[in-house]
Amino acid sequence: MSKISATRRLSPQELDAFGAELDALHTRTMAQVGKVDADYIRRVVRWVRYCAVLGRGLLFVGAIGGAFVPWLLWPACIAGVLFLALAKILENMEVGHNVMHGQYDWMHDPELDSKKYEWDIVATGDNWRHSHNFRHHTYTNVRGMDDDIGYGLLRIFPEQRWRPFYLLQPVIAVVFALYFQWGVAIQELKLGRFFAGKMPKGKLARDFAPVGRKMGRQLLKDYLIFPLLAGPFFLPVLLGNLVANGIRNVWTYVVIFCGHFTADVETFPKDSIRNESRGHWYMRQLRGSSNIGGGKVMNLLTGNLSHQIEHHFFPDVPAHRYAALSVEVREICKRYGQPYNTGSLPRQFAEVSWRILRHAFPSRPRRGAPARELQTA
Amino acid sequence: MYKCIHGCADGCTFAIMSTVKPIKPARRSRLRRLASPFVAPPVFDFWAQRLHPTWSWERPLARVVARAPAADNAVTLTLKPNRHWRGAAPGQHVNLTADIDGVRITRSYSLDAPVAADGRITVTVKGVEDGRMSRHLLAAARRGDVFDIGPAFGDLVLPKTVDGAWLFLAAGSGVTPLMALVRQLAGQGMPAPVTLIYWARTRAELCFVDELRMLAAQHPSFDVRFVLTREAAITADEAGGRIDRALLDTLVPDLDLRQTYACGPGGFVATATGLLEGRVPLLRSEAFTPPPRPQTDDSGMVEVRLARSGRALQLARGVPLLEALEAEGLKPKSGCRMGICNTCACGKSAGATRDLRTGTAQPEATSALKLCISSAVSDLVLDL
Repeated sequence: MSKISATRRLSPQELDAFGAELDALHTRTMAQVGKVDADYIRRVVRWVRYCAVLGRGLLFVGAIGGAFVPWLLWPACIAGVLFLALAKILENMEVGHNVMHGQYDWMHDPELDSKKYEWDIVATGDNWRHSHNFRHHTYTNVRGMDDDIGYGLLRIFPEQRWRPFYLLQPVIAVVFALYFQWGVAIQELKLGRFFAGKMPKGKLARDFAPVGRKMGRQLLKDYLIFPLLAGPFFLPVLLGNLVANGIRNVWTYVVIFCGHFTADVETFPKDSIRNESRGHWYMRQLRGSSNIGGGKVMNLLTGNLSHQIEHHFFPDVPAHRYAALSVEVREICKRYGQPYNTGSLPRQFAEVSWRILRHAFPSRPRRGAPARELQTA
Repeated sequence: MYKCIHGCADGCTFAIMSTVKPIKPARRSRLRRLASPFVAPPVFDFWAQRLHPTWSWERPLARVVARAPAADNAVTLTLKPNRHWRGAAPGQHVNLTADIDGVRITRSYSLDAPVAADGRITVTVKGVEDGRMSRHLLAAARRGDVFDIGPAFGDLVLPKTVDGAWLFLAAGSGVTPLMALVRQLAGQGMPAPVTLIYWARTRAELCFVDELRMLAAQHPSFDVRFVLTREAAITADEAGGRIDRALLDTLVPDLDLRQTYACGPGGFVATATGLLEGRVPLLRSEAFTPPPRPQTDDSGMVEVRLARSGRALQLARGVPLLEALEAEGLKPKSGCRMGICNTCACGKSAGATRDLRTGTAQPEATSALKLCISSAVSDLVLDL
């Protein structure tokens, strides 16, 4: 069922050439970045603002209006939830994630500043900048270095050591999806190390302080202040906010898991990145990522993580350019005989789900299959 | 000694060791303090600006309310700042930030008049060749445009009581802060003898000519001389030639008694300082930096000032800044060391750098300079 056919082994010279072509593509693209990109991101920010107000407004209409005109309750609340979820998804994925990568730093806009941006999610921007921008993007799918491999909770790859705990992971994965923002929020706290007795209490308390503040702020906003604004009709607003956050959680979980945990994605041992060349780094990003097919709507709703490969190649290029870049990226990969992992959302997510089910049970890397390590001739 | 603190590529940027205290930000009202934990300023500003273009939670903004040509290649803009801007003394300058094709560019401009009673301010901008901001202000800025406006700074300001005789030396757009002082003194009925000597290449480049002549006619204690370097003098209040001792002695017989302020390009100010230092009772000057020449040679050393730790280092050009700083024993935060993770990005408030991956120069100040893939092109100020 592998989508990926023969993979050519590249000589170090070929790897260098592969890297140089992608570097050149990066340079060419960055030279074009300008007004179009600024207009684009500001347009998305406007949509985020309008969707959020529309969503929250409709929830009030449903909650308060619904108390007097009963047929109003459900349609207004459902529409409100969807618009609020859309606002949060766009803000988290197309604005927050991409801004924090520094894709728009060249605009010198303090509201789109990678170092200061704070997003509408319980995870703090500062923790994200470290665990995601640095560890995940530099050491993508390197076992023991990229904490995004299973998030310390799931066994996605046979190379991860099996423990009986993982038998529960089909259930845990569903819960994790529903509460994904909380998982992201505590990822950087390394609770596993704390419970294993490898981290003093004081450090955990210090690390938790800013996370706790952010959590409090988000909870206060969605579950106290906005519901209270509806007075005695607070319940539909509170529940609506809960569902909207939940929809955002599940969607971001699906997109992120489809980006790195599909069937043919590989993980790498630590020693594969010793003295890593630029070409080898690109190769590892390619083999560790997978795209989601679809059109413009899919690109927008995933914050262009539908082009996970292009994102991992060029995390500082404004993400709305990935779709156009993918034509040339594919062509380069094809010329070097390298797999380009893409598929529809149902297909990619089915592969992810299968991995979660399969590796809940003991498993071993397939023998005779194409080597799971990144190799060069 | 005279160094631009912004690293501007445009004119109209001044900086010297400031003796005037910066203006403190306003104390917030109680209501605002109580509300602030629940307000996300970007969201507040977004909706406030649907109602009025300069309403904001705390960001000082100014709207262009009028524009008028000031001379050949110069324009006077009238701005109305919002309530978050804290005002300026005549002779001071402010940073204005405009959005030009999606990129926000910041430059300093002197106010050319005291702040009006209704809060309006005026700046006169001279076009600088290849100056992104001044070209934009001259050609594209319209009524209704909104700029970010910074706090006022600079110390070409007059003492509270103006005694003795004064001499103002201006060259080119260096006339703007001195014009603000002349207007301030005119408003007080010219309480002391003041002479303004104003250099320009040609007559057509002179700003404020009619007003200055009118003030000279009104106030016997005010005298103005226009000095042209590329045209012959015609009228009685005109002269010719660059600044030198003979010219100054001719134009200002009581030079030794004059408290002197000078403002203009670096070369002009350096000459004026050399001629007058020790000779006049008081000398203050401001110079604006010439646009940095495009640097193609990546060899040699530059001075890198670290604003937070107060250190100054000599670092090599052409080397990634992260490596160069580490070689000096510093340990800036860093991650991937290849330009993708943004961990080492730090603020650069002045100077030009080069992106070593793409080879493009980055002359503007930024809040996020990736040290691992950037090298110094000119002297720098980093937020480290």
